[in-house]
Amino acid sequence: MSIRTSDHTPTTPEVGAGRTGPAVATARGLVKTYGSGDTAVHALAGIDVDFTRGELTAIMGPSGSGKSTLMHCMAGLDTPTSGSVVVDGEDVGRMNQRQLTRLRRTRLGFIFQAFNLVPTLTAAENITLPLDIARRPVDRAQFDAVVDAVGLRDRLDHRPSELSGGQQQRVACARALVSQPAVVFADEPTGNLDSRSAREVLGFLRRSVDELGQTVVMVTHDPTAASYAHRVLFLADGRLVGEITDPTPDAVLTALRSLGADDVRGDHRVDARLAPATAGTDL
Amino acid sequence: MGRVALRGIRAHLVRFLLSVLAVTLGVAFVAGTFSLRTMLSSTFTGIIDSAMVGDAYVRGSEPASTGGPNGTQVGEVRTTVSTDLAKAIDAVPGVRMALPDISGPIVLVGADGTAVTSTQAPSFATALYPQDDSTRISVGRAPHGPGEIAIESATLAASGLHVGDRTTVVVGGALRTVTVVGEVAMGAPMAGATITFVDVATATAAYAPDGQVPTITVLGEPGISERTLVGRIAPVVGATAEVVTGDAMRAESRASIETMLGFVTTFLMIFAAISLFVGAFIIANTFAMSVRQRMREFALLRAVGASPLQVFASILTQAAVVGLLGSALGIGAGLGLVSMLRVVFERMGMDLSGSIPLDASTVVISLVVGTVVSIAAAAVPARRAALTPPVEAMRDDVVVHERSLRVRALIGGALVVGGLASLVVAVTDAEADGSALIGGAAIGLVLGMLLLAPVIARSVLGALSAVFVVAVKPLGRLARGNVTRNPRRTASTAGALMIGMALVGAASTLAASTQASTRTVVANEMRADFLIQSATGAVPSGAVAAIDGLASVSHADALSFASALVTTGGATPTSADSTSLVGAPAAAFGRSLEVSTVAGSLDSLRSGDVAVQKTAAKDHGWAVGDVLTFTTDTGATTATIGAVIDSKALGVPVVVPDSLAARLVPASKQQVDTVFVTPAPGVTPERLRADLVGAAKPYVVLSVLDQTDFASQLADQVNQVLVILYALLGLSVVIAILGIVNTLALSVIERTREIGLMRAVGLGRLQLAGIITIESVLTALFGTAVGVTIGVVLASALPTVLADSGLTTLVIPWAQLAWMLVLAAAVGVLAALWPAIRAARLPVLDAVAYD
Repeated sequence: MSIRTSDHTPTTPEVGAGRTGPAVATARGLVKTYGSGDTAVHALAGIDVDFTRGELTAIMGPSGSGKSTLMHCMAGLDTPTSGSVVVDGEDVGRMNQRQLTRLRRTRLGFIFQAFNLVPTLTAAENITLPLDIARRPVDRAQFDAVVDAVGLRDRLDHRPSELSGGQQQRVACARALVSQPAVVFADEPTGNLDSRSAREVLGFLRRSVDELGQTVVMVTHDPTAASYAHRVLFLADGRLVGEITDPTPDAVLTALRSLGADDVRGDHRVDARLAPATAGTDL
Repeated sequence: MGRVALRGIRAHLVRFLLSVLAVTLGVAFVAGTFSLRTMLSSTFTGIIDSAMVGDAYVRGSEPASTGGPNGTQVGEVRTTVSTDLAKAIDAVPGVRMALPDISGPIVLVGADGTAVTSTQAPSFATALYPQDDSTRISVGRAPHGPGEIAIESATLAASGLHVGDRTTVVVGGALRTVTVVGEVAMGAPMAGATITFVDVATATAAYAPDGQVPTITVLGEPGISERTLVGRIAPVVGATAEVVTGDAMRAESRASIETMLGFVTTFLMIFAAISLFVGAFIIANTFAMSVRQRMREFALLRAVGASPLQVFASILTQAAVVGLLGSALGIGAGLGLVSMLRVVFERMGMDLSGSIPLDASTVVISLVVGTVVSIAAAAVPARRAALTPPVEAMRDDVVVHERSLRVRALIGGALVVGGLASLVVAVTDAEADGSALIGGAAIGLVLGMLLLAPVIARSVLGALSAVFVVAVKPLGRLARGNVTRNPRRTASTAGALMIGMALVGAASTLAASTQASTRTVVANEMRADFLIQSATGAVPSGAVAAIDGLASVSHADALSFASALVTTGGATPTSADSTSLVGAPAAAFGRSLEVSTVAGSLDSLRSGDVAVQKTAAKDHGWAVGDVLTFTTDTGATTATIGAVIDSKALGVPVVVPDSLAARLVPASKQQVDTVFVTPAPGVTPERLRADLVGAAKPYVVLSVLDQTDFASQLADQVNQVLVILYALLGLSVVIAILGIVNTLALSVIERTREIGLMRAVGLGRLQLAGIITIESVLTALFGTAVGVTIGVVLASALPTVLADSGLTTLVIPWAQLAWMLVLAAAVGVLAALWPAIRAARLPVLDAVAYD
């Protein structure tokens, strides 16, 4: 396990860019500003980040740190004020609505905190929804693999209202993975779940990365959830302020606590001294 | 709480917009009907006041039977008085002049060679007395002799003639070339009536050859009250006549016009009520959905101490605001509607009184109606919001429990079964009161189906959506899910359309059946090759003679209509005994008309017997051999019933030979309705037609029809009625479409996050629009299919029930009904336009962002 620090410049090119695997999604100089003039809010104040293929990456940070905005910009759901986003080799920033729709349909998977399923469709129909929308045939082997992985074989004909919260979220996971997207974006996927269901969902997400070779980017504010990731990125006030690889819940907590102690934006970051034993391992 | 309610409306104005519009349209109909009535009423009052200027009127003392089939007289028809009486009255002190009112139908040929007519307004000529100073000649002079006429200003303008022009008129059955010598100003809009003035001798010769007139107008010396005048005249007039004051006469006329306008108002109000009823569905849906969305807000209000009653009241306050706003706009729209109507009427030559009236009662009634409808429609959702426990509403995922549909299913099922049962009784039991049973069945079926609609929605929509599910994957399935997830809402949205479509379905089936029955009757009963009818309802006697004289004509049988008081067994005749008769040459049966005889023989008509219809015989207990007494102005005559017939073509109870008709009604008052023509041997139909057209042409208003023409002319009349019905139902269909727009738009708001989710997983904008369009089309199809079915089922019973009235054939216009469904689908696409665009424009991020 390692915790890296970034340097003190506002943009931190090397943060998140250091894993050995190829980057599936990349952001450079990402800025997102809401409003203008005195009331302008800088949700993202210039971020450079790479998400590695075949990894589960968690994005953490206090409320308002810009973690959801980062994910929305990466997924083409929101347009950045400036900077570039490249997903699976395509420049998301230059896409029009039609291309974005196709991108979401073919390359991306989504899991939200709540309201993840279409209430009028059965679990099976919800899982194949992105394929149906794209009018692509369902790969039965992949479907079966995903359904078995989430353990929903006997629930396929149920409507969302007949499923528990954890089961619903597992259906959402299966839906995100069935089309074998380049990246799955998960926005607080366990935010509405009890701890047991959360463990099931997180365990499944991790397995999908380790066993099925998926790439998952997950926004969370739960240190336990973050500990399932290969790597955790920390955001504060629209900047990347730190990163831990192969985290434990305690390490995440410690890192967060040090972030929480920050009263001046961007001046202090998660320090390498917090975890001296592992410092430098992933440089 | 009031502030919360008002802020709620202001914050969600768009959501209530269509509800306001629905109220506006319904109330516009109500307000428009009232102000149309007031406008017509003031127009006709103006006519009465400017045309009836007498200080006293003398008229027959008995109610009479001979009004003619399309009497131009307003008010009660009475026996006539002699013109000689005028001289006696003239001598009464205080009487300035007594003028017999001599008038009758005229055909005036305009500058373009066609008859001057406008819509349904009468065309008549009246005697212009030289001494009468109440009629003002604005241009030229009064007519003298049979070759001169004067014309009322508006009529003159409509005819395109000018003072000094020569033209043709048909008076008393004869063609006459005349010169227009004057223009008469009446001082009030005459509502399109064609009014011509002739001199007294001409009028008397044409309209009062026997010296009998309906009334004598008396003008008094200045300073003598009407009462005094009446008191002085009364002793002079004798027992057969009576005298009334001018005010009383005018009041009588006004009252009878008000009665007629009352029918029109009632008729229009039925459609206004339908529109409002349909509008209520929109309001109910809007509030149901708004309440559902704001459950948490209500829970908060309850949590901070609001009572259920306060929540209830706050929602009703919103409904009242919607109602008041909609009604206020509706009153304005109603006035706009009436001014448009007036322009249309003016184009058609019907000038109406100048100002569009808006009285306080119209305003109050419109406001009250609109507001009450809104509040009533919102009451059920409001009650539901008030009764939801705060804890339940506070929960994170608000699950609104759908109440069981069982009660609805039971009541609806009972109503439908009851409706069908009374329909069956109406069809099978000949003794039962068919019309009442069908009326009951209609109410039962419509209300029952409205209640049942949510119960059957799932299966019907499932069947309807099958095509879409297969054809448009996966949009069809998603759309099906959306319309069936809340069957109550879909059903009430479709219900609005259902009501209008039930009436449309019934009307079109009835119309198709009527047309088919007419064709059957014409084909079965009409033997003659051609028939001649007049646009004024009376074929001039000169024309009858001219046609009879044609070399190519073998027989020309004229049918004339009249009425008499018909009694049996020496009973004293009353006005209730007034019966329509048709007079026909005895020889006409067999050569011009083929009439089936139930009992006796039509040959008996040759010896002066009469024939009665089967239905009339049943109603009155008449049989062959009974003696009927006919009482008219000319006295009483008896005749024996020689035959009981069953004829749909002769739609009157009694058929008399023309010799008897001539005795009952003076020749000058006989109105020939139809002339049947049989060709001379060896004459081709083409030649006969050419000859007939040549003979009829000078009379301008006559048309020569063969069997096909006649049937299609009758069919056209049915179609005209149908067009008016469709136009009136159109508004309720428009409101129903607004209802679909409303429900879709609100459900898009409600489903924002779901839409965002689907967009996030790759649903394109067009696909999203497609889903909403399919939903809309399904809803429209559902309403139309169920509505049309109800209408057709109801109308199917009518031919059996109304067989005696000539509706013999049931024709279901399948093609037309299929077009109705196509139209419904088009309506669905149209209604989806705005909600679909709105949904497609929702930013994905806003939609997925969890609030």
